[in-house]
Amino acid sequence: MHCKELESVFETEGLGQLSKDARLHLATCGACQGLVADLNSITEAAKSIPAEVNPPDRIWISLRAQLEAEGLIKEPVEVSEKASWWESFAVAWKPRAFATVIAAALVMAAAVYVRRVPQDGVSDVAKKQTPVENARPAQTQVAAVPPVATPPTNTAPAQGAAPSKTKELAPSPSESASFTLNQAELDVPNMQLAGNSQVDAALRQNLRTLNAFIAECELRLKQNPQDELAREYLYTAYQQKADLLAAMMESGRGEN
Amino acid sequence: MQPSTRSCQSLSVWGAGLFLFAASTAIAASPEHQERHFTVQGHPVVVLQNVVNGRIEVKSWKNSEVVVSSTSAKDKVAIDMEQVGDRIDIAATSTVAAGQPHEVEANFQLTVPEHTELQLKTQTGLIYVEQVTGDMKLESIAGDVHLKEVSGYIIVKTTGGSFVCTLCSGKLEFTSVSGSAQLLQPSFTNVNLMTTSGNILYDGDFLRTGIYTMKSGKGLVEVRFSGNDSFDLQAKTYSGTVDNQAAQFMQPEQHTSRHGNKFTRYLNRTVGLGFAKVEISTYSGTIRILKRD
Repeated sequence: MHCKELESVFETEGLGQLSKDARLHLATCGACQGLVADLNSITEAAKSIPAEVNPPDRIWISLRAQLEAEGLIKEPVEVSEKASWWESFAVAWKPRAFATVIAAALVMAAAVYVRRVPQDGVSDVAKKQTPVENARPAQTQVAAVPPVATPPTNTAPAQGAAPSKTKELAPSPSESASFTLNQAELDVPNMQLAGNSQVDAALRQNLRTLNAFIAECELRLKQNPQDELAREYLYTAYQQKADLLAAMMESGRGEN
Repeated sequence: MQPSTRSCQSLSVWGAGLFLFAASTAIAASPEHQERHFTVQGHPVVVLQNVVNGRIEVKSWKNSEVVVSSTSAKDKVAIDMEQVGDRIDIAATSTVAAGQPHEVEANFQLTVPEHTELQLKTQTGLIYVEQVTGDMKLESIAGDVHLKEVSGYIIVKTTGGSFVCTLCSGKLEFTSVSGSAQLLQPSFTNVNLMTTSGNILYDGDFLRTGIYTMKSGKGLVEVRFSGNDSFDLQAKTYSGTVDNQAAQFMQPEQHTSRHGNKFTRYLNRTVGLGFAKVEISTYSGTIRILKRD
């Protein structure tokens, strides 16, 4: 056996059990002995390398939101008749899907910020359109927003709206973000947090602060959908709430 | 044996027993102190995650060595330290059974080379960093963050903790829900501050070509600039107030045509030649502009 043949044996079969020919060659070849010594030291060194730790969910949340915001990934979700909304949320509230829900909320919040399409007003783009273009039914403009996982609404279809697969008027991204975050928050009272009274109190107190501020901004936007400052602050508050809920989840899981 | 002698002996035995019990209790409750030294080369990175209460203090020295001193409740906190190359990972976790409340502490004192990169995360307790020039990311839930004479790309995130930065430079990002931020004598070229209900104080110079953004949802945003500063100012609020106490040192903003709309109160002004850009906003709080004496 030659050195190259022995190397191919190492590649295919490892250092475990060598054939008689291989052992004979190894006993007489200094180069191959050196190679075996190197491989053994690499194996030993590899054992001392710490195992990879899964990054926390919020890393994925942030990454996903960033990629979505930059348009690098898209995940269109169509409202189909096969899967009802409550089935979707039944899946969503499973613990493993919780982070995904928050990611979706962030994505929707990003959509609010990027598109700035008022829910019942005229968008910046629409303002620049001709009067004829502006005369299109409002629902047509809303439908231009990419489909997202949507909560049910009781909104009746506008008159003259063309029949479509989505039978109900889709809510605005900000409504969807708010709904999703509120649903995620329903688990908070039952959530076991850090077991540390100072931390728990701080998390819950700040959640209340954010909720109050979000309610204020949402009310303001309902009254004046074109208020960019309120929209900007609402977007930031949604993002902070998503971060806070993710921190609460992480805090609770860290104890288990 | 006389009864009085017997009672004396009995008392002695009880006394000794009590002493031993008290001593053993004191030993069990006494904090555990440990110190580790890590030799580093090149660009050290220190990552510390403190999942219990406690303070983290970081100072620098000229040596190529990281020293980690910790004090924690014995048998209640597990502290793991590990070095891989120039990266040092430190983690403090509670050993109290899951589901049980725990209020245990682990306090850290780090001594690091000046250019060390820091990633510190804690729940409560102060994070204090002094004279470190590497980039840093500091996160806290309820604890405050104090920095003194640091520089680099600094990211601070708190939920309720406040932030004080004295004589700092580089680039800064701060976000918080209810924490406040104070920047005293800063030399940042880029600042981005955001808090939902906390206050913001910027007391220092605006560097040429610097960009400074400060936002508070409901709090006070106060800026104190110097007579040598040169910046374009844009202040806006929805339902708050803009209290400009330095109007005599400003002129109408000259570099953009952007003005307020019917929903927002705007203030666009230029100080000096408008080299830097300062954007301040609050949703329902107060914006106060002052010139330092």
